[in-house]
Parts: sequence; C-alpha cells; structure tokens
Amino acid sequence: MSASEVAIEFKDVGLTFPSAAGDAVVALDNVRCRFAPGKVTAIIGPSGCGKSTLLQIARGFLAPTRGSLRFFEISNAAGTVPRPAMSIVWQEFNLFPWLTVMENVTFGLELRGVPRAERDARAHKAISAVDLSGFESKYPRQLSGGMKQRVGIARALVMEPDVLLLDEPFGALDAQTRLVLQEQLASLVETSGTTAILVTHSIDEALLLADTIIVMTARPGRIAEEIDVALPRPRSMATTHDPNYAVLFDRIYGLLRDEVMRAMVIESGGQS
Amino acid sequence: MSQQPLAGRDEAVDNAAVAPLSNPRRLLDNPRVLGWGSVALFLVVWEVSARIAGVSPLYLPRPTHIVVALIELFRDGGLTIDLAVTLYRIFAGFGLALVAGTLLGVWIATSWRVQAVADMFIAALYPLPKITLIPLLIIWLGTGGPFMLTISFLGAIFPIVINTVLGVQQCEPGLVLAARDLGATQQQIVRRVLIPSAIPAIFAGVRLGLGVSIILVVAAEMVVGKLGLGARLYLSGQILETEQVFAVLIVLAILGIIVSKGQDAIDVWLGRWRTG
Repeated sequence: MSASEVAIEFKDVGLTFPSAAGDAVVALDNVRCRFAPGKVTAIIGPSGCGKSTLLQIARGFLAPTRGSLRFFEISNAAGTVPRPAMSIVWQEFNLFPWLTVMENVTFGLELRGVPRAERDARAHKAISAVDLSGFESKYPRQLSGGMKQRVGIARALVMEPDVLLLDEPFGALDAQTRLVLQEQLASLVETSGTTAILVTHSIDEALLLADTIIVMTARPGRIAEEIDVALPRPRSMATTHDPNYAVLFDRIYGLLRDEVMRAMVIESGGQS
Repeated sequence: MSQQPLAGRDEAVDNAAVAPLSNPRRLLDNPRVLGWGSVALFLVVWEVSARIAGVSPLYLPRPTHIVVALIELFRDGGLTIDLAVTLYRIFAGFGLALVAGTLLGVWIATSWRVQAVADMFIAALYPLPKITLIPLLIIWLGTGGPFMLTISFLGAIFPIVINTVLGVQQCEPGLVLAARDLGATQQQIVRRVLIPSAIPAIFAGVRLGLGVSIILVVAAEMVVGKLGLGARLYLSGQILETEQVFAVLIVLAILGIIVSKGQDAIDVWLGRWRTG
C-alpha cells in the first residue's frame, strides 16, 4: 500500500435530505475537519448522527448540499489535487455471494484490467495478510462472520487505496471475534501506513486504531470535539491497561453520554 | 439357528451403508425406487386388466402394443423427424426469448421510464392465454417456420422478462455500492452484479417459459402442422390409430421428464454458491 500524501478537508459541509414526511432532515451540519495522510481518524458518535453519511461524502457517493470537499497534498496545503483512490470496508460485508473468496478479492483488479498473473499474486498476498490462505475457493456462505469481514478487508486492501474507509467494520460481529479482528486490523494499519477513516460506535475500537478521534453530536451531526490519541504503537489489547487509555476513554465517554441522551430524547420525539 | 436374528440385523446395517438392494423395506425408503416402481406397477396393472377385461384396443391399447407401435414409428414412421422438428421449433423460439427476455428484463429493472412504458404492455399481454394468438399469427405469418418460432418465443418471453425484472430489483443495494466502490462502471454493474444476482430468478422464469413454449408449439402443430409431434398426434387420432396416439404421448411425456430433470440439474449447478 502506498503511503499517501493526500489530505482530505471538509469545508463547512452540510447535508440535508427530504424525509418521507416532506420536511427536510439535516443529517450533517457545518462539519469542518481534516483527515491527515498516513493517519487513522476515527469518527464516533451516537446512532443516526451522520457518521456513515460523512464517509459516503468522502467517497463521493453523496454530494454535500452545503460546503465542499477539498483534497490537497500536505506539501502544498494551498493547492488542490484530484480525489485519491479509496476503498470501503462495509459493516454488512457486501461480498458477492456467487463469487469465491479469490474471485471477490480480484473483482476490482479485474475491472481495472490488471493482468491475471499480477491479479492473482496481489490477491494471494492480501488474503494471506488477513490470515485466510487456504480459503481461496470457498464461497462467502461457507465462512463465519469474522472470516467474511476479513475477505472484505482483503478486497479493499488489494486495491492499494490511498484512503481506506472503514464503515463500522466490526459492527455485525460478536464481541470476541471483534476483539481479535480489531487487533489484526490495528497491526495491518500500523504496518501499511495508510490513511484510514474509521466510523465506529465503539470507544475501544477508536482508541485501539486511531491517531485522532472526532466525536460527533446527535442529529444534526456536528463535530463536538477532536481528540488526539497519544497512545504508543504498536497497540494491542495490552494498550487498554495504559493509564492514559482510561483517561481518554472517560473523556470520550463523557462527551458521548450527553449526546446519546440527547439522541434518545430526539428519537422518542420528546423534543423537536 | 440362534444366531439368525443377529445375522439379519448385521445385514440390515450393511445394506444401509452400501446399497439397499435386498431389503424390501429399505427399497421403499428410496424415492427413486418408489417413483419408478410405481410407474412399473401402473403399467403392469394396465396390461393385465386390459387383457382380462378385453377392452377394445381402439379405446385402450395395451402398453406392450404401444411400445411396439412406438418402435415402429421411430423405425419407419418418421417419428424421429417429427421429434427433431418439434424440438427445433421449441428451442429456437425459446432461445431467442431467453436472450431478448433477459436483456429486456434488465433494461426494465434499471430504468423507471422503460418500466413505466413496459408495465402496461406486460399487464395486458402476460395474463392473455398465448394460444388465443394462434389465429392472428396465422393471418400474419402463415403456418410455416416463422409462425412456429413466434409462438414459441411468445410463450417463453413473458415469464423470463417478469422474473428477470424481479431478480434484478431484489439485488442487495449494498452489492451495487460495493461494486461501485471497486470501480465498476454502470455497464459493469449490470453485467457483473445485477445479472449474476438475478440468475436464480431468471432461471425460475426459464422453467415456466420453456413449459409454455412446449405447450404452445405442440398445440400449434395440432392445429396447422404437417410435421412435428403435435401434427402426428392429431393425424393418428383422426384415423383412430390409438396405439400411435399413446406412442406420441409417451414421447411427449419423456421429453417433459428430460426437460424438467435437466432443469433440476442446471438449478443445482447454478445455485452451488447458495447450498451444498
């Protein structure tokens, strides 16, 4: 994976979409933030705060209704460059069920016209990076949830993206599988030096993986606070015993708790 | 003597593990044996009762005589040509319907404008018994090859279109997004995601469509054909060759079995990523 030089800047981004009832729902409001190259930024916030929407905007699948996006090289902060290559790891895996593990991983390379030999070599490398060697000819149906998501990660990594977008990647997995995969992903990210944006519900996941954590408010999604995670790398489950870990955890939890309470009031319709 | 029950039990275990040949109760647990056995039993009862009751062969010929008639028809009665002609008519029209129906279905499913236009036509034409189109098609096309091809095509295309539309629309939206993320163009999404995910549904349409094609071609042959199984059936009936009528019916029934078993096999193969 290439160490990207490209940073992403959200300039006062807002997104409003019409609801079924006819009135406008403000999903994101006035989001101003930067995603630094080679760093992992986690976005954490209560359900429905527009975390995933933010990711879709970064990917270019959704256009903001206000504000704009800018990509620039860190060496030339005033300039603008085209959108860097991005790949998404999805919460629901989104593997093609009629393709084998190998065929899923080579799908994007094939579309790009990469020659077969190179395709296979890169896929084997990515599959072994997520510890799935030997499962190349299995269909997704034959894999456990954790294995499916490892295929999802391999499918994204094999594209060698400048930016890896992780949309609640472990949200659909059980607690133990999640722990193991978080640790694996932490070491993959550390060795690759890729830029990554991680959307998550889990404070632990954010602290384990991220260099910076952006805490978002309940709807409309705004940025409540940006927190630097100054925990030493490599990180693993042992990092949770670091005294700073507890301090950071409490701080983020304090911020989230208020927002989650507010989100519950909004959801129950108690307050407009 | 005292060891016999034990030996019997051993045998039963062995049979279950290897081949259930000698134990009659095990045989009845085998669906294939049950299926073919009941057909054989039916034929034996038919043969014996027809012989005992002395029913005129004009009404109900005996199975053995039907088999003789069948062999004779194949040997020097031209039934091989009839079968070939009928198969050609069915599969040529059906093949065209498969290609056109899948393309049309994908087009309808991916464009709401096309869907809006096609919706009314499909609603009007789909429930219409296609057999009622035979007189009109004869006026337009005569009774030759184009007519047969068209009737077979019309029988198959509607179920294929409708099932393709359903299949494409039921494709998981996340898969389309994932393909877009991996760099797929709109056309690649159709070819590499929408159609593969719709294949089980398309095949369900193929099943229905091929059945209708067979019915329509044979029926059309009965009305206007000079060649083909339907024509042969009709002519044999008119000259009261009841044995030949049964012989042609048997050919049609065997064709039906081959087609539906073949479809079962294709279904299993296509669905290998879903089961097995």
